[in-house]
Amino acid sequence: MSTTTPPVQPAAPSGSLDISSTPPVPFGRLVRVELRKSLDTRAGRWFAGSIVALCLAIVLITAFAAPDAAQDLGFFLTVSGSTLGYFLPILLILMVTSEWSQRTGLVTFTLEPHRARVVGAKFCAGLLLGLGLIVLAFAIGALGNVIAGGDWEVETGLLVNGFLVANLIGIVLGFAIGMLLMNSPAAIVAYFIYTLVLPIAVGILGAFQEWFADLAPWIEFNTAQASLFEGDAVPTGEELGQLLVSGFIWLVVPFAVGLWRLLRAEPK
Amino acid sequence: MITVEGLTKTYGGFRAVDDVSFVAQPGRVTGFLGPNGAGKTTTMRIMVGLTPPTQGRVTIGGHAYQDIPNPGRHVGVLLDASAQHAGRTGREVLTIGARTMGLPDSRVDEILEMVSLTPAEAKRRVRNYSLGMRQRLGVAHALLGDPSVLILDEPANGLDPAGIRWMRGLLKGYADRGGTVLLSSHLLHEVEQIADEMILIGRGRIVAQGDKKTLLSGQAASSLVTSLDNDALARALSAAGHSASPAGEGLRVDCETAEVGRAALAAGVVLTDLRSGAAGLEDLFLELTADTQREGHPAAATAQGGAA
Repeated sequence: MSTTTPPVQPAAPSGSLDISSTPPVPFGRLVRVELRKSLDTRAGRWFAGSIVALCLAIVLITAFAAPDAAQDLGFFLTVSGSTLGYFLPILLILMVTSEWSQRTGLVTFTLEPHRARVVGAKFCAGLLLGLGLIVLAFAIGALGNVIAGGDWEVETGLLVNGFLVANLIGIVLGFAIGMLLMNSPAAIVAYFIYTLVLPIAVGILGAFQEWFADLAPWIEFNTAQASLFEGDAVPTGEELGQLLVSGFIWLVVPFAVGLWRLLRAEPK
Repeated sequence: MITVEGLTKTYGGFRAVDDVSFVAQPGRVTGFLGPNGAGKTTTMRIMVGLTPPTQGRVTIGGHAYQDIPNPGRHVGVLLDASAQHAGRTGREVLTIGARTMGLPDSRVDEILEMVSLTPAEAKRRVRNYSLGMRQRLGVAHALLGDPSVLILDEPANGLDPAGIRWMRGLLKGYADRGGTVLLSSHLLHEVEQIADEMILIGRGRIVAQGDKKTLLSGQAASSLVTSLDNDALARALSAAGHSASPAGEGLRVDCETAEVGRAALAAGVVLTDLRSGAAGLEDLFLELTADTQREGHPAAATAQGGAA
């Protein structure tokens, strides 16, 4: 210990801290740290890796199994993008909830007591990570098309709406659920209920009640998002309205409430 | 310097911290002592802004914690050594801290050496750490930014005797170089040996504070004595006006040890053991927090050497 004892900063006689020469933690540094934290555990790395592997596997299977006529770049991007879309929100959920489930928030929010900055940095890190995976999913889709020898045709609407926008919505959604529940298992279960059970329930209800089928796209976000995957058909005014209304209910409100909760919660 | 002023925290109708005020001075180790659930951890959490106080305030070196830029460079905090991602390696935990504070990665090696975690241990995941290793890692994390104030919650918990001695040396040295150290514990002997100043807290309220001497002044004199002929010694002591009662294999006498020696000399009794039996800090502590203890403490257990 002789050579490594820390030189304690000489405290002023009054015991006051001189903070004038300490700059605050730059936001970019917080983002880099959050990005590192999302991939520095076996769980984080494996999960991100598994998503990519799964996209690859499903694209390869469809490349060999699907009828040739159906195969073009747009088709493979839909396959790859929707596979990613299922699991990307979970990656975001874990980025947020691990601070609580693994209790690292005690350290994180002590090193940067301005919690809103941490949340902002985490969101940016999640966006960067998600965009990286979206690019990878695009490459995998293109690879599938090379193998299948399909046309290099893709409708711009599908590329932007179904591939990019839908996955970006997934990122925000995962982040919102994570903040809202602050508990990994609960948040993942809630996500699957939202994404798998809810649309089916709404579909069944809609099949029996016509008025509900008309109402569903307005209040159920998954149903409303269907218009994003309809190729070049630009969402009509009504569809856009449905997206905005249901998105407000399922995206904006949970995000706002989750943020409010997280900024006030006491990490234990 | 840490200044706590009129701090109160209530959860519903429960007062976890009740009008607590104290000062932790630079150059001294301040021990924060109390039974489980007395409010130590809540107080420390309020200090670093994790929990908002209901009333009162805490300043560290004259600033609210939230106003300290890059606080890891000024205040080292260890609240719970187990609150680390189980899947990260020890080195990774420290690397994240160092990166956040803007320190070079070489600092991680320095600090690992300081807390005697070997490179092989640093590569293991925290999941596989013993509690003692987690404490070392937690202390390493607190020291990373070379802060001038340390806030440590139960840092000696889970350390083996060698580890406790190491911790003592580390914190003493730290305070001697002008640092402010506040550490909490529910184990009196630990704090008694490290702390220059003690804050005793029970059920959210401070019941006593000061250095050991101040705390113990005013305690009645008492001696514990064992001799080859206790009966004869007891008679001699009674004759000298001191009351002696059996305690274990010897006697407890309500006077200074010198008086007992004198009586034994006069009576020609051979003493085999004579020491001060003045109520120690433990008795004081139990007495002061008696109404806040979970178990009613049996008097016999507090009388030193009583049943032994």
